[in-house]
Amino acid sequence: MVDQKLLVEEVKKIVSQEDVKYVIGYKKGTYGFAISPAFAYSPEYVDKFIFNPLCKKNLAVYPILEEKLPLKKGEKADTRKIGVIVKGCDSRALNQIIQEKGQKRENLVIIGIPCTGVIDQKKIISKFPNVTDYTDIEEKNGNYKISINGEVHNIPKEELLADFCTSCVAPNPVIYDILIGDEVEPWEPQEHNNLKELNEKTIEEKWAYWEEHFQRCIRCYACREACPLCYCKECMADMLTPQWIRRSVNLSENTAWNIMRAYHLAGRCVGCGECESVCPVNIPLMELNKQIENDVKEMFNYTAGMDVDEKPLFGMFRPDDPEEFIL
Amino acid sequence: MESLVLSKNKLPELINKISSEHILYGPTEENNYSSFKQILNFDEMNLSYLLSRVSPKSILFKQTETLFKFIPGRKGSVKSSEIPEEKSVIFAIRPCDARSFSILDGVFNGDYEDPFYISKRKNTVLIGLTCNKPEQNCFCTTFDDSPGSSKNLDILLTELNNNYLVEVVTEKGNNLLKNMRSLLKEASKEEIQERKEIEEHAISTINRKMNLEGIVPKLDKMFDHELWHNTAFKCIGCGICTFLCPTCHCFDMQDEGTLKEGARIRVWDSCMYPEYTHHASGHNPRPARMNRVRNRVYHKFSYFPKNEDVTACTGCARCIDYCPVNIDIIDVIDKVGAILIE
Repeated sequence: MVDQKLLVEEVKKIVSQEDVKYVIGYKKGTYGFAISPAFAYSPEYVDKFIFNPLCKKNLAVYPILEEKLPLKKGEKADTRKIGVIVKGCDSRALNQIIQEKGQKRENLVIIGIPCTGVIDQKKIISKFPNVTDYTDIEEKNGNYKISINGEVHNIPKEELLADFCTSCVAPNPVIYDILIGDEVEPWEPQEHNNLKELNEKTIEEKWAYWEEHFQRCIRCYACREACPLCYCKECMADMLTPQWIRRSVNLSENTAWNIMRAYHLAGRCVGCGECESVCPVNIPLMELNKQIENDVKEMFNYTAGMDVDEKPLFGMFRPDDPEEFIL
Repeated sequence: MESLVLSKNKLPELINKISSEHILYGPTEENNYSSFKQILNFDEMNLSYLLSRVSPKSILFKQTETLFKFIPGRKGSVKSSEIPEEKSVIFAIRPCDARSFSILDGVFNGDYEDPFYISKRKNTVLIGLTCNKPEQNCFCTTFDDSPGSSKNLDILLTELNNNYLVEVVTEKGNNLLKNMRSLLKEASKEEIQERKEIEEHAISTINRKMNLEGIVPKLDKMFDHELWHNTAFKCIGCGICTFLCPTCHCFDMQDEGTLKEGARIRVWDSCMYPEYTHHASGHNPRPARMNRVRNRVYHKFSYFPKNEDVTACTGCARCIDYCPVNIDIIDVIDKVGAILIE
């Protein structure tokens, strides 16, 4: 459990630094279990910062989203650093982005939080619908202790834990300037959800499985926007000359979109699960990502975003790279 | 308005009767959420969800609509798409979603008449279902609507203890039930009273309210306010709010095809995407997220009320429930209201 006071204290120090523009963290949302990203430009604002198991959102997406509009005459670019609070998976995303030169390490102040897993919003809302106010959520002895309207509920952790957390390989941040609290004991990563079952299916069955999911995609691109590693200046889905994916929303184009996105994340996806948790039509996107992650691990013994000095998987060559898939 | 009663165990018969003569859309459950689909048999339906994830606007204003087909070249030709004429029924639509159609009428049956929407609208009977249990972010009462409002419906069903109270609101609704009268009986005073109490109870459980007073003139003075920058800062620019919204109606048109044949299609678009306003010249009049988030709020709460005399929001709260970063439209409008302007 993260010491709330320590977090606020440390972040205040960072915001006060002259070379820091703002720090991105979490604050309580406007209703129920909602959590909102928060941007602190001043130390006073940091009092709103919290961290609890509901703080699932991967904030590594924000430094990339920072818009650089054309400067007015005489205006100078603001080169101050951005502070960002990261959990293990989020820090891997930053590592990956820095490796790919999407961000410069020296432009970031990384505040690491050792993570024991986060709560799946969909799970907690279905367990406690219509909760307008809760005071706190605490993890204790394998339970989540939730105080709702004065009543304390003890819910076994596995009932609310986000699925992708069970396969986490880095609960502790792998890159940071400052770590809030002590590192946690990593757990044995488990196979993601029903990936094993899925792998036992025939190709036809797998195809039918994914067809069933892709046909209901509404192409809102929330998966892309929530993903810290989907940061191409122009996404192939938006391109018109040539148009890789048609705008028609149907099985064929939806499949093209989802499979192309999955492949573009091969060796890059850090398993933070943002795409799947924001998907409004519940497509199990992490099953695709995890499968590719497993394949990459098996073939290249590579795990994305673990070391900032490593080269990206598709940006390097080793003489002993497997070649059996080259026809 | 006529009030009738349908016994709960007769509902399947009613549904199957309707579906034999009409294309019937009803809420179904798949992958832990609800969506409107064509129903052939009562058992396919699931009435336990309050709202479908994607609003039923998708039935009258399809996400992808083929406007016409063409063969390019000197000897080319254009073949218009057929305007759908089939009779359909949307069953168990919630009052707020039904209200969205009267808002969309101004768009698709106003200055420009969209033959696809108009024909479907004319041929569709709306059978509503009272929301006995509104959800935590519901705020339809803000717009003088109610979980048990029959205003925008042809027929309204309310689940009572053992029966459904069936209110026949329009002539269209009356015609639909013509052959099914044997399933229905007159409602008693007590049953009408019970329905009233259910509605009142539902209203009392709605916690959230948006204060709309003075918002339209206020927004006129706030175009350059920092609120838009602050609100948009956490926006990640996805299309969830616009695609799930029952009143968002912006679309894109594209020609798709090969060298030999093609079609002009209309697809939902989202003002949250930079591409939405990207000019052919390369210029983008809404270059930043701030411009886009501001536009969405202004479209619903300023431009639309000015042009159509109604706020383009029904209070269904889908955008609040599914926004990945907690941009809460009630919170935004409340902030607009609270800001002091000279």
